[in-house]
Amino acid sequence: MKKLLLAVLVLAVIGVGSYYYFCDKDVKTFSLDVNAKSPAPIQTQAKLKNIDNLKNQKLAAQRGTVGQYIAEDLLGEENKNLLTTFEKYVDAISALRQQKVRAVVMDEMPAKRFVNDVKGLVIMKQELSVENYAIGFKKGNAELLNRVNQALKDIKADGTLNKIFEKYYNGDLDKINPAEIDFNLNATGGKLVIGTEAGFAPYELRVGESYIGIDVEMCAAIAKALVIENMNFDALPMAVSTGKVDMICAGITVTDERKQNMDFSDDYVEGAKQVAVVLADDYEE
Amino acid sequence: MTMRNSNNKFSRGDYFLWAFAVIILVLLFQSGFFTAEAWQDFGRRFYQNFVYQERYMMLVNGLRSTIFMTSFATLIGLVVGVIVSVIRVAHEGGVHIPVLNAIANCYVAALRGTPVMVQLLIWNFTVFASARDLNTQYIAILAFGLNSGAYIAEIFRGGIGSIDRGQMEAARSLGLSYGTSMRFVILPQAIRNVIPMLFNEFIVLLKETSVAGYIGIDDLTRAGQNIQALTMEHSQPLLMVALIYLVIVMFLSSLVRRLEKYLSRSKRG
Repeated sequence: MKKLLLAVLVLAVIGVGSYYYFCDKDVKTFSLDVNAKSPAPIQTQAKLKNIDNLKNQKLAAQRGTVGQYIAEDLLGEENKNLLTTFEKYVDAISALRQQKVRAVVMDEMPAKRFVNDVKGLVIMKQELSVENYAIGFKKGNAELLNRVNQALKDIKADGTLNKIFEKYYNGDLDKINPAEIDFNLNATGGKLVIGTEAGFAPYELRVGESYIGIDVEMCAAIAKALVIENMNFDALPMAVSTGKVDMICAGITVTDERKQNMDFSDDYVEGAKQVAVVLADDYEE
Repeated sequence: MTMRNSNNKFSRGDYFLWAFAVIILVLLFQSGFFTAEAWQDFGRRFYQNFVYQERYMMLVNGLRSTIFMTSFATLIGLVVGVIVSVIRVAHEGGVHIPVLNAIANCYVAALRGTPVMVQLLIWNFTVFASARDLNTQYIAILAFGLNSGAYIAEIFRGGIGSIDRGQMEAARSLGLSYGTSMRFVILPQAIRNVIPMLFNEFIVLLKETSVAGYIGIDDLTRAGQNIQALTMEHSQPLLMVALIYLVIVMFLSSLVRRLEKYLSRSKRG
């Protein structure tokens, strides 16, 4: 134990010493910052030019999302084993940066956030699909569905929804204070439980012990007492159909396939895009 | 032992240690670890991940929830495990309880034969499907508790089996009933033998609760993932989570070692 301590101590002394030694010199070795370092250029393959190039490439998507279905369609039956699905977007982006996959199929808004903050990534110009987001309900839960639709209409009409969109599309997510969102927790007459996956900026994010995001504020605006359950995206349909949560709101795209298993409210986001995120060095417009 | 070792100039272990340290140093040096940029950058990312907006509190709360779940799950496991193991041992020892014994056997087989994550999902989405007002943490405690109960039952069965048969025979020949001899003669000795293994079960459980995020509990692992979603950085939150688990497990392991020493000393005396 003492020897180990000694070794660590020596390491620390050398570390700190060399830190001060190099401090005022302009040493240009490569940085350890994964976010600042652009990945090694890919020379063996031709650069990606358009969506069609992705058809025989390794792709990544978040499990259970429309991105996964689009990637599956893109690859077709013969190449379907080229798709890797991940629980979280962060994992998919990491796989891309380590060149384990060539593109990540994901929603445009979170993609933009990644591209802004992580160097060396770009979004391919051509989008993969355009779609709408809505809130999902248990099949046949018409009463709640109608009430939520009415509430959605109201907040669309009085501009509340637009204000929320502006706040998140233009503002800095780091500056939004979750304490300012009113969840009406003391309201009487029952509570509304929603299921979400809090890793989908700017729609829902976990901040400390609370949540922020477009979906979160929208639900807070239409609910009396809002309780949020944070789970994995692929668990959401199960949660709403078993009645664990009253509704699910997580930037969920309305698809015909999903309509068979749950009911949807009116759309609250129209024209959301699915895009492919690729490495900047690997893309040629 | 320690005296002689420290008087020696270098033992073989020392050479390995120094060689290892030198290799690490060279590798770090080559990768640019000792440059000012790298350190400033490390600091900036560290600040982003853990300090800014008090994000370390997410890890602290996650850790609290992990320890909360693990502790209560171990308690449930302990109670269930003792009962199940006593049923099985008593049946083998000649007490006629075939139905109870069959239930206990099924319980152990089913819960040891399926992954804990599958059990967790079944408890949450199938058994307690409509339990909306129940805190998910309690469901997780039940799931982990019953799971570890099956393992603890096996630990106890081994512990009871390790007590010399003469103990039971002596107690019975003194006129004590089977139950009384089990409670006051066999179990106290068995418990002393299995305490270190129970602590190990606690350590295993602590790591197993990392799948609780799947049913929406913000345990330590999930807290790290939440930070990842906020900062979009992959490595630092994960490594920090791993470090926290490692420190706790190493601390608990050292406790177990001390406990083992203590128990074996009192046995001799």
